Amino acid sequence: MELHETSYKLKSPSLVGRNALMAGIIGSLLSIVGFFLNSPQFFHAYLVAYTFWLTLVLGALFFVMLQHLVGAVWSIVLRRIAESIMSAVPLMAALFIPVLIGMHDLYHWSHADAVAVDHVLKAKSAYLNTTFFIIRSVVYFAVWFLLSRALYRASVQQDSRFDHIRLAKMKRISAAGMILFALTTTFAAFDWLMSLDPHWYSTIFGVYVFSGGLLSSIVAITLICVFMRRRGVLSKEITHEHYHDLGKLTFAFMVFWAYVAFSQYLLIWYANIPEETIWYHARWIGSWKAISLLLVFGHFVVPFFIMITRPAKRNLAMMTTMALWLLFMHWVDHYWLVMPTLHQEGAALSWIDVATMLAISGLCVWFIWRRLSANAIVPVSDPRLAESMEFTNV
Amino acid sequence: MNSANPTSGHLDPEPLIAGNQTFRSVTERVCSIVEAKTPPIWFIAIGLAGSLAILLFGLIGYLVWEGIGIWGVNIPVGWGWAIVNFVFWVGIGHAGTLISAILFLFRQRWRTSINRFAEAMTLFAVICALIFPSIHVGRIWAAYWMFPVPNQMSMWPNFRSPLLWDVFAVSTYFTVSALFWYVGLIPDLATLRDRAKTKLRKIVFGLLSLGWRGGNRQWKHYELAYLLLAGLSTPLVLSVHSVVSTDFAVSILPGWHTTIFPPYFVAGAIFSGFAMVMTLGIIARRIFRLEDFITVKHLDKMSKIMLVTGMMVGYAYACEFFIAWYSGNIYEQFTFMNRAFGPYAWAYWIMVTCNVVVPQLFWFRKVRSSILALFAMSILVNIGMWFERFVIVASSLSRDFLPSSWDYYSPTIYDVGIFVGSFGLFLTLFLLFIRFLPMIAMSEVKGVLPQANPHYHQPAGTHGGSR
Repeated sequence: MELHETSYKLKSPSLVGRNALMAGIIGSLLSIVGFFLNSPQFFHAYLVAYTFWLTLVLGALFFVMLQHLVGAVWSIVLRRIAESIMSAVPLMAALFIPVLIGMHDLYHWSHADAVAVDHVLKAKSAYLNTTFFIIRSVVYFAVWFLLSRALYRASVQQDSRFDHIRLAKMKRISAAGMILFALTTTFAAFDWLMSLDPHWYSTIFGVYVFSGGLLSSIVAITLICVFMRRRGVLSKEITHEHYHDLGKLTFAFMVFWAYVAFSQYLLIWYANIPEETIWYHARWIGSWKAISLLLVFGHFVVPFFIMITRPAKRNLAMMTTMALWLLFMHWVDHYWLVMPTLHQEGAALSWIDVATMLAISGLCVWFIWRRLSANAIVPVSDPRLAESMEFTNV
Repeated sequence: MNSANPTSGHLDPEPLIAGNQTFRSVTERVCSIVEAKTPPIWFIAIGLAGSLAILLFGLIGYLVWEGIGIWGVNIPVGWGWAIVNFVFWVGIGHAGTLISAILFLFRQRWRTSINRFAEAMTLFAVICALIFPSIHVGRIWAAYWMFPVPNQMSMWPNFRSPLLWDVFAVSTYFTVSALFWYVGLIPDLATLRDRAKTKLRKIVFGLLSLGWRGGNRQWKHYELAYLLLAGLSTPLVLSVHSVVSTDFAVSILPGWHTTIFPPYFVAGAIFSGFAMVMTLGIIARRIFRLEDFITVKHLDKMSKIMLVTGMMVGYAYACEFFIAWYSGNIYEQFTFMNRAFGPYAWAYWIMVTCNVVVPQLFWFRKVRSSILALFAMSILVNIGMWFERFVIVASSLSRDFLPSSWDYYSPTIYDVGIFVGSFGLFLTLFLLFIRFLPMIAMSEVKGVLPQANPHYHQPAGTHGGSR
């Protein structure tokens, strides 16, 4: 794997794409077997893997918009990587189809007979009904698709010739995009994850799902950088200063995730209203307790003490380990959000969980890698690129 | 970093400080405010502000004498303006900490022009805030019960109570903010000491500047200390108002108990704090002719932060409303309908107008560069944020689960007097600050001048030196 000297495109883009696609196909085949053997398990496992990747992709979209809005210079050399991740939105839309197929297995409120005897669900049926659910999902994907495509296109077009107007345009898209992003992500989190338990509600839930997604997109960017660096690509352009900054953001958003998670937990625990505590109760039964504690320590306490130091953020081996660990924790987080509705007596890992994760991860990595190889790997014509490569942490 | 790069064409950021300043002119400009003869307008201002502060203390005296019966609080609204004012003032402080800590970590160098007086504002706002919990039961001789001190009655505060968490959160906040502010002041105090013409000034600034010599080693330690304090202050930006929000959110009262409260309160605090920084900044730059330091660019950036935080607040309002409906819980639903269309609807719509509708004007560059518009909007935002707390407190309490105990809460003249008086105290402290201490961080502003860049070349044909 190396870079073309003038176009900054990946030459002979290694076997990543092909291997990922193979993994995706094998995973898909296994998942199909899983579907026939145990369809409720399949659909729940699928939703875990799917929301894991979707939040990651949306996190990257947020990252790109944020960098545009604040006029960040240090991150310009990383921007194309984030843009490649966010451009997986069409794939995510296609991969949403199995969720729609599995609606009846996933969402209790989609059963008319269950709603008919449940006055709370009846009261919500203006919102929680199949038709409106599908309409909303289409709207979310339309918004994300239009945003990510507009930003990706403008950025790639800029590679051939820099244009101030285009830069300003990306800023404008990001400004409006932030509002659309906040609304769509929140309601998508309500629809696809919170309504798994249709009686339960929490106003911070959208922020919670977003915070985990943003964190995982930052560690994903770190991993891609390290992966390419090992193969000699962008090893001089992306310096330890960039890793240091990525480390700071990883640390900050890990703490932010913990802050949001704790806010939700504390308030529900303290008020002790049965309608609300039931959700945490379900995550405290049997082996779910262990998973809950794993999240507390694995997603926050231990990484907090490891990542707080300056040397840890500048040590690539440590950063890689932590990035992989936090991605795993992101999966645990989504497993913890989804699975207690299916396995109420305790966590029960199944091979289908692994198969669906393999399927979606393979397809996503393949797709993202394709986008990464399709164009220059850094925004080559951005006049601030040199500055971005030279910056140092004071 | 946005250091000047000759290749970046008109992306080249405009200088942060206008008027082609030199190191010397910065010192002259800022120190002259403190060293010159006191302008008459200052006396008029402090006369007014001081009178209001006296009003505050007088009314507190009356409150202690007579008891909280002089306020409008009663069953069911047992928490009235006192808690509203407390939350309002704590919130105001948050912009100072955000500017000095978080913007520092984000390498936002434009913060140097506004951080000093924003931090001072933080301290004074927290002082105003702390008055209210201390007086709100009318028995200030028992105020020490808030602290977990051993006493002969073997009474301990309830450690599970957010009101106790407030004591820790706000006192930590005050301590760290004061330290941070003071550490930042040291080099500037030394400058004042070196320029002092009278014995008294020499002694006072000499003591305050802790023997600062500006040596390389001192700067090295100083900068590390500054970075560490910024790191320590950053969690405080989120934690303090999160804890304040739990005063309400841990309860089971509809409209108070909602999980988004902590981040929603933090966003609101930064929103209102920036509005106050803008109000005071606009007045100060005008009176002391600091337009070169607090430029329109600074106001523009502050407007953008207010736009963002204002929309976060709007997001929280919308989220609460939606979830109240979505919950299927009739009490939740009633509370929000009651807010928007009940007896406090007027307050609710003032809140929505000032906090959500008005900030939308910040989208327009024309508005962001019009001093007059910004001034008006910053005041409207502060009005809106005060009303937000009022709506939360009054509407939820006045109509809870039992309709037979519903009531309408109105403040008395003493409620109003104490609130207005707290502004007097705040402004008095602020006026004293701008009279005796440098309101712009000279040493930091010098650091962002082009001359501070090691690669700086003096443009041909110009000479350094003062303007």
